[in-house]
Amino acid sequence: MQQQYAQSILPEEDLAYTVLSDLKRVTREYATAATEAACPDIRQMFTNLLSSTLKMQGELYQVMQSLNMYNPASPVLRQEIDKQLKEYQQTQQKTSQFLQQRMGGQPQGMQAGYGHMVQQQQQHNQQNSHQPYYM
Amino acid sequence: MLQPMTAKELEYVADSMSNEDLLIKQCTAVSVGASNQQLRQMCSQMLHTHQQHYQTLLHTLQQHQSMAPTQPQQ
Repeated sequence: MQQQYAQSILPEEDLAYTVLSDLKRVTREYATAATEAACPDIRQMFTNLLSSTLKMQGELYQVMQSLNMYNPASPVLRQEIDKQLKEYQQTQQKTSQFLQQRMGGQPQGMQAGYGHMVQQQQQHNQQNSHQPYYM
Repeated sequence: MLQPMTAKELEYVADSMSNEDLLIKQCTAVSVGASNQQLRQMCSQMLHTHQQHYQTLLHTLQQHQSMAPTQPQQ
């Protein structure tokens, strides 16, 4: 049996890595194909293939990581997160002001909808200033 | 109700079948060549999924075959 495993030209971690990187590439190609499809049935097919390939890629990654074949990148420093968080909270604030100016004459509904979202966000920020929040 | 496939869609379907074919062969290589059992099992499962993907793509091509015009359209 051992001899059977020795037939491969590449070491097993290289083989697994090749499959993993091709799954990553194919995932991107399915995403592109889905966005560029004109027929609804073909778009749906590519969407399903994308989801299935993405699932396999994630599972293979987990297996490879558990076998120490793939080391994840080192964690980012807290200061880096703080910096990005601060910057994008400012961006959000500015965009919110921009929207309020531009939509000043718009029907109440739209304004109220966005205002509500911003208000929620501000409350959230006060409650926990270190947790990133995605809109 | 199906609509005719575009030239671009045909290219994507054909490229996708090439990709799936390559993955079928790669998964076969790992599932017979790797010494780690977990890796072999995983790749043999993936092999089946890629075969299904290939079949899906082929089937779509067949479905659109009869609908395709034989003369260039305006």
